[in-house]
Amino acid sequence: MSTTLSIFIAILLITLGITYWAAKRTHTTSEFYAADSQLTAAENGFALAGDWCSAAAFLGFTGLTALFGMDGAFYAIGPLVAFCTVLFLIAEPLRNTGKYTLGDVIQSRMKTSTSLLATIVGTVVVNFAYLMPQMAGAGVLVKLLTGISYDWSIILVGISMIVYVGFGGMIATTWVQIVKAALMLVAGAIILVMILMLVRFNPLTLFDNAEAKVGANYMLPGNYLKNPFDQISLGLGYVLGLAGLPHVMTRFYTVPDAKTARRSVVWVMFLAGSFFAGTTLFGIAAATYVGQEVIKAAGGGGNLTLPLLAQFLGGGKGTFGGDLMLGFVAAVAVATILAVVSALTLSTSGAIAHDFYANWMKQGKADPKKEVVIARVAAIAIGLLAMVLGILAQGVNVAVLVILAICVAASANFPVLVLSLFWRRFNTGGVVGGMSFGLISSVALAMIGPAMRGADAVWPLVNPTIVSLPLGFLGCYLGTMLYGRDAENEARFDDFSLQVHTGVVPK
Amino acid sequence: MSANAKSVEAAHASIRALIAKKLKYLVPMTIIFMVGYIGLTVLAAFGKSIMGIKVTGAFNVGYLLIALNYVLSWVLAIVYVRIANNVFDPLAAKAAIDITGMGASR
Repeated sequence: MSTTLSIFIAILLITLGITYWAAKRTHTTSEFYAADSQLTAAENGFALAGDWCSAAAFLGFTGLTALFGMDGAFYAIGPLVAFCTVLFLIAEPLRNTGKYTLGDVIQSRMKTSTSLLATIVGTVVVNFAYLMPQMAGAGVLVKLLTGISYDWSIILVGISMIVYVGFGGMIATTWVQIVKAALMLVAGAIILVMILMLVRFNPLTLFDNAEAKVGANYMLPGNYLKNPFDQISLGLGYVLGLAGLPHVMTRFYTVPDAKTARRSVVWVMFLAGSFFAGTTLFGIAAATYVGQEVIKAAGGGGNLTLPLLAQFLGGGKGTFGGDLMLGFVAAVAVATILAVVSALTLSTSGAIAHDFYANWMKQGKADPKKEVVIARVAAIAIGLLAMVLGILAQGVNVAVLVILAICVAASANFPVLVLSLFWRRFNTGGVVGGMSFGLISSVALAMIGPAMRGADAVWPLVNPTIVSLPLGFLGCYLGTMLYGRDAENEARFDDFSLQVHTGVVPK
Repeated sequence: MSANAKSVEAAHASIRALIAKKLKYLVPMTIIFMVGYIGLTVLAAFGKSIMGIKVTGAFNVGYLLIALNYVLSWVLAIVYVRIANNVFDPLAAKAAIDITGMGASR
């Protein structure tokens, strides 16, 4: 494991170097939250790929595919399809209407403090639901990969993310993401070529070998998601939920205009899409060549599949090549966790300092210098809280939180954002209705479902999106109707549309 | 004042034309990828035997459809960028010119 530790320390030093460089360029609110909107499409595309491929994704998808076959491949393609939603509906309007946060968009449409507050709740809940399992996952993974204890692993991850975000803001977060995405793609490409060499560059042979080795049932769907409606619910949650994640939305503020936002989505679709397609092949290869028994025995619920596959491809356990490959993939996994938790921390700090402090408390009249200080302090506080929650979460089932994050994003944030952008009559009542219906139904159904209660579940589905998403939209509709006609808001919609589609703010 | 009112009017009209164009292209494109992906999950849920039909060797319909979904997403992304560059952007530019006549912020 010492190879892992040394590669990991090298990555840590590089990212701290980046943070030092970024900190000297981070003074204003625009620099802190949005890297001064100066990124190119390719840079933002790589950073988005970094956001998208969390460790849960790139280790998790490979593990799921290795252990359960085709169901893992459904998980893997979801994020790519989700980017169609982002590309068509979200990316450009976000760039055109907001400054730094989701709250900005809702605020510039509704101009009411109530709708802003509802959006802050949506942002913070989703981010924390996402952040906590990432921290717990970080503890487990860093411990498994480097041998440091669970608590110390979390403290190490927490301190690193506080340093990145607190000092370097969006510039540091972005470049940490870019470095990590590049490393991840290199690792993926090397593994892919080595697998293809095993099957003489005919991927079909890989499928034949898997069937022969693992069995015919392995090639079929339904090995992981037993309830058919869970398959569909998962699909819906992915395609719309990933479009409602605040830390991903924030990325569109780091580019100068809508056209660059558009091009950056195409970059991420090819970068992350190819990588995710790769995880399916990696999983099948791991099941065939490493073996499901070995993967299960290694622990971590299949999360160690990719490092084990890398070790096998490098020459096996105890060989120089095997250790090097294992170390490299493991270190990239740790870097991935660091990058994603940083992005979540930054996005949450934006909701607190920009949405809550500057726009809600001070009604947009906050001193920008003070706002940056508050954003930095908020980042530190969020980091500390995440560390405490992560340490407390040891041994607790945090899977339910991952589902919650996606489900709330799909059922609350997504309907509210889309209707704000495109429905003239949508009003403050609708924002509150959508947020509360989406949030409450997601939390309630997840809590009584199998992810939380196991065999005692009152509700059959692991992922509640198939019910909570329609409820979110229903809440939007009912809230809008109960609130009554808001003539001023509806009259403003033409000007707002102009801003959504062109970026021009009418005076 | 009346000149301003007119340019606002013109800008709003251009935007409505732009939104109509966007709907015309994006609604079918959204239906295509939603049907493609949700259809895949529905088939996985209720059409296990269809997914298991062998195409060549052990490679079955399920994996073929998964592969096609990747291709579909990428094709749609490229098609969207082309349409946005050639159709949406000129209309957006026209609306922006309509409104800048009355002094927009940028």
